[in-house]
Amino acid sequence: MLRLNKKTSYLYLVAALFLLIFPFVYESRTLLILLTQVFIFAMFAMSYDLLLGYTGIVSFGHAMFFGIGAYTIGIFMKSYEPSFYYLLLAFVVTVLLTGIISFFIGLLTLRLKSHFYAMLTLAFSGLFLVLAEKWRSLTYGNDGFTFRVPDLLKDRTDFYLISLVLMILVFLILRRFIQSPLGRVIQAIRENEQRTESLGFHVLHYKIIASVVSGVIAGVAGMLYSISLRFVNTSVFSIDITLDALLMTIIGGVGTLVGAVIGSGLIEFAHHWLTEMAKVHWIFERWIIFFGIIYILVVMFFPQGIVGTLKNLKFRKNNRQESK
Amino acid sequence: MDVFVNLTLNGLATGMLIFLLAAGLTLIFGLMDVLNFAHGGLFAWGAYSGIWIYSSTGSFIIGMIGAVATGFLLGWITEKWIIKPVYGNHVQQILITLGLMLVLSELLKVVWGPNQISASPPDVLKGSWEVAGIVIIKYRVFIIAIGLLMFLGVQYILKKTKIGLVVRAGVMNKEMVQSLGINIQKVFMFVFMAGAGMAALGGVLLGPYSGVIHAGMGMEFAILAFIVVVIGGMGSFPGSILAAILVGLSGSFMAYYVPDLSLAVNMLLMAVVLIFRPQGLFGLKG
Repeated sequence: MLRLNKKTSYLYLVAALFLLIFPFVYESRTLLILLTQVFIFAMFAMSYDLLLGYTGIVSFGHAMFFGIGAYTIGIFMKSYEPSFYYLLLAFVVTVLLTGIISFFIGLLTLRLKSHFYAMLTLAFSGLFLVLAEKWRSLTYGNDGFTFRVPDLLKDRTDFYLISLVLMILVFLILRRFIQSPLGRVIQAIRENEQRTESLGFHVLHYKIIASVVSGVIAGVAGMLYSISLRFVNTSVFSIDITLDALLMTIIGGVGTLVGAVIGSGLIEFAHHWLTEMAKVHWIFERWIIFFGIIYILVVMFFPQGIVGTLKNLKFRKNNRQESK
Repeated sequence: MDVFVNLTLNGLATGMLIFLLAAGLTLIFGLMDVLNFAHGGLFAWGAYSGIWIYSSTGSFIIGMIGAVATGFLLGWITEKWIIKPVYGNHVQQILITLGLMLVLSELLKVVWGPNQISASPPDVLKGSWEVAGIVIIKYRVFIIAIGLLMFLGVQYILKKTKIGLVVRAGVMNKEMVQSLGINIQKVFMFVFMAGAGMAALGGVLLGPYSGVIHAGMGMEFAILAFIVVVIGGMGSFPGSILAAILVGLSGSFMAYYVPDLSLAVNMLLMAVVLIFRPQGLFGLKG
């Protein structure tokens, strides 16, 4: 899968170009905002996929990095003036904070069985949620706060384009990262940890690197998220955000970056659509149930997700033709 | 003195509730290598169904029995249709049990509505005793008693009965148990159902203790139970009660003296244990 063939590359290019000119041809504010949301969550889901799909680490606290990014930008914009300079500063602080925290958590738990990382990240994101609720002087507690954004990011269309470009950048960076020698080792860890260790690679180092890269990208996605809302509250730390990333990655396809993007589109659109349906019947208000059931079924029967399953089908077809 | 005794009792009672949740978690993990992220969901289901039966029949004992029965039933369904198909694949197991947690807690809102439900102790356990000028709330003592009884009961089963022997042997080496001609699948099922039943019992006991139940409480207590399991050691039953009491006590004292740090202290405790003794204070395997 690593060497993309020409056809797939063209397909991505066409899709990207289409999305790039989209806001100029079709005018719909709702759709624009929804698509911006899709791009932001796609970044978040791709960062999650680096852990789950490529390294084989299950994290249940990815929301904590997302939330740190969201709160950092909010606090900077609120406490100081919303200028480009402070935007950059907030970005640097987000990268540093998420990097340090993911490094620390990784160091603590990644040498143990996979359960520990899942549990500890869950517990730590719970801690951050409590922190955001209790540290009222900085976070304004549960209600959160609104803030102004730099002029540069005010226009919805501009912000749409910025998010799109950033998403493509994250995609390219992560793809490059995965194809690098370091990324190969990370995938080797997913396939067989003992063997990688006995080949002389210090598995813990590589796992920590993966967790730091993933945490930093999640923090950046969180920044964009709260910029798009111009508002931040404790919900960015909630388990729902982690679950979103999990659903997007699993349903889209683990171990494929495109899968995360497709999953993000599916979940965000379905979420939007099902919330509309709630007016028709109250059961749609509990839309999470449908996703939960689909998610369980996917984990059980299509552990590769949409993209992975399609790829397998194609692979099998090609094999059959060759053998004829 | 008054404050001290009450904080201790409060901490012990909370500790017992966490223990009921953590005991199942640790035994299931020790035996089956499955970390059940849906355990908090079973806990919340026990609370809702138990309180519902209690308020419609008026008898708390029937409510408790109903909760345990719900736990058994859900445990049976979970083991048979959710855990067994993905047995042996760790990542899939973790993912699927979290999905189940999601479905279970959303289903609660569908069945009983999204609002909080209030609960109060039965008349016998309402009010308090006064011993040497110290007010002791009856219901807390009741929870502690039930928790200790459950601990002794499970300890008895583990140490003195045949099935307990098989479970203990299974925790040590399940391939060996299997090759000696024992159907380990049945033992898995038994332990899973027992663990689910205990979690459900903990849930229904929590209802009158905190006064209200809500769908998010499963996750809240599950996080505490995970902390307990890590501190006590994965798979260690005595470790789970000691760590649960530790977490309960530190929670109640910190909540009184430094309320903002109560969760942070437990996390810190867990971090220290993970650094110096990753297999837990009483754990067998890391």
